[in-house]
Amino acid sequence: MSNINGQTLTSPFSWASTIELLDGVKVDEIGVKERVSSLSTRSIKRESKLQALNYVVSMCDLTTLEGEDTEGKVLQMTAKAMRPDPTDDDVPSAAAVCVYPSLVSIAKEMTGNSNVKVASVSSYFPSGQVPLESKLLDTKYAIDEGADEIDIVINRKAFFEGDYRKVFDEIVALKEACKDKHLKTILEVGELRTYENIKKASLISLAAGSDFIKTSTGKISNGSSKEACLVMSKAVYEFKEITGFSAGIKVAGGIRNAKDAIRYLIIVKEELGEDWLDANYFRFGASSLLDDVLKQIRKLKTNAYQSSYYFPRG
Amino acid sequence: MTEIKKTYKNYVDGKYVRSESGKTYTIELKSESYELPLTSKKDLRDAVTSSKKGFDSWNKLSQYNRTQIIYRLSEMIEGNRDSYVELLVDHGLTKSTANKDIDNAINTIVWYAGLADKWEQLTGNLNPVDGEFFNISHQEPLGVVFTLNSDEVSIDKLIRSFLPSLSIGCSVISFSEKNAVLSLKLAEDVNNSDLPSGSLNLLSGDFTKVFDDISRHVEINALASYKKLNKESLKTINENASTSVKRIFHLPSEDGLSSILPFIETKTVWHPKGR
Repeated sequence: MSNINGQTLTSPFSWASTIELLDGVKVDEIGVKERVSSLSTRSIKRESKLQALNYVVSMCDLTTLEGEDTEGKVLQMTAKAMRPDPTDDDVPSAAAVCVYPSLVSIAKEMTGNSNVKVASVSSYFPSGQVPLESKLLDTKYAIDEGADEIDIVINRKAFFEGDYRKVFDEIVALKEACKDKHLKTILEVGELRTYENIKKASLISLAAGSDFIKTSTGKISNGSSKEACLVMSKAVYEFKEITGFSAGIKVAGGIRNAKDAIRYLIIVKEELGEDWLDANYFRFGASSLLDDVLKQIRKLKTNAYQSSYYFPRG
Repeated sequence: MTEIKKTYKNYVDGKYVRSESGKTYTIELKSESYELPLTSKKDLRDAVTSSKKGFDSWNKLSQYNRTQIIYRLSEMIEGNRDSYVELLVDHGLTKSTANKDIDNAINTIVWYAGLADKWEQLTGNLNPVDGEFFNISHQEPLGVVFTLNSDEVSIDKLIRSFLPSLSIGCSVISFSEKNAVLSLKLAEDVNNSDLPSGSLNLLSGDFTKVFDDISRHVEINALASYKKLNKESLKTINENASTSVKRIFHLPSEDGLSSILPFIETKTVWHPKGR
């Protein structure tokens, strides 16, 4: 059913077994907070820091999701994703650019066969408040335009009304529409509020065939949090124990500086292992984060604090 | 009555903060000794981040409005005159010299307040060119300026180290060493004058501990030292600064129009005259 890095989630995870997964969900809130705060105080040595910062660049989904987006803006951003720091060959390219469906073809034309992927949000991002038929149309359009990856939102209306089945079925239908394209499912953790909700939504999304689960749309003030990332990591781990399928995590929304990004890396590494320190399993959705990371990389190399003025716009 | 002693703290981004390092240094006055924050490299970086934002908010205000805000600083100091005099006397000045110093400081502030919306008319220019063009020297503030205050015990001196750059629209990180109590005391009145947070950050500490970082920091546009520096450190500062084309001014003028000239960027604009 699902296909990521050559792995296949063989039999579709049935709704009946998904229900069973959800039944046992309990999250120790204090424990989560303690664990995150202890992981956040870890100090990183200089060489590891450079490596971590390069990881962050290679895991970046450079994102612009505004009504004011134009072809020119997307082209500029895509150029930056392909060559984040033109003065430094050692800085890798970003993982992907993330745009609205109407701008996918423009970005795709530029990335061509490079290793920068084009991701498109769909399913009426960010609210998802339309019937499934419209979501499917939206998604098919993005794929036809050439998107390599699709970022959808879960149906929060159904989730809060307790209709988990509907949440599940919609993702299954959208995954089917995506075929072999990478599917990232956005939980919008800021709206889900409790850790238990986050874990439930994670498990539903994974069982329905998502390749990635993603924290937020970046459209509400309550974006990603390290705690949410930890809870999602635990869900991914649990799901892997049961099915053998390794899903990815994308954190997005409000991650603006390099230090914060590294803390996220520490969390996934500690919870899921080193395999997840890879753009195939972990991503940052960000617009301003990349600038700070580039500044820090050059700082480490030149020993001088940098200004974004000297880095490409985008 | 319980005796209340004041803890002076750095003034960064409109807030009173201790050094994140927790380190302090002592300044002994005649009747009192103070523990002041020993600014660390991290504190400095925070101050630069704040000044960068402060530059925008300071420049969003009209020049006329900046005039009013700077003038208000003199009102605040006048209102607290006694406490300044007391502190200056504790630094070793006589009461009359201390009073004189406050008078001078207030005069200086009023002069710079007046200049804040007029300087461009004085330093800008319509240049004579051979052709059907207007050629205009348009003047802009440089950006984020770091100033090192002298060790002289004087509020007027202190004010003359940051007002030239601040009054024309730069955001300033003002650094004081041996007389930092005065600067951090002044922070209270700066805070009450409606200066947007980040436009003026006041720090205390040991310059030798931070100058290497400051002179390299790409986001600081100019460094002005009103204190005499030795040849060696000046050389290092100039070398470091060259990598980011930072401007360095050693003992710049503290008086009159020439005091603001170092902090001005001139852009030349050509415009066809037309008939």
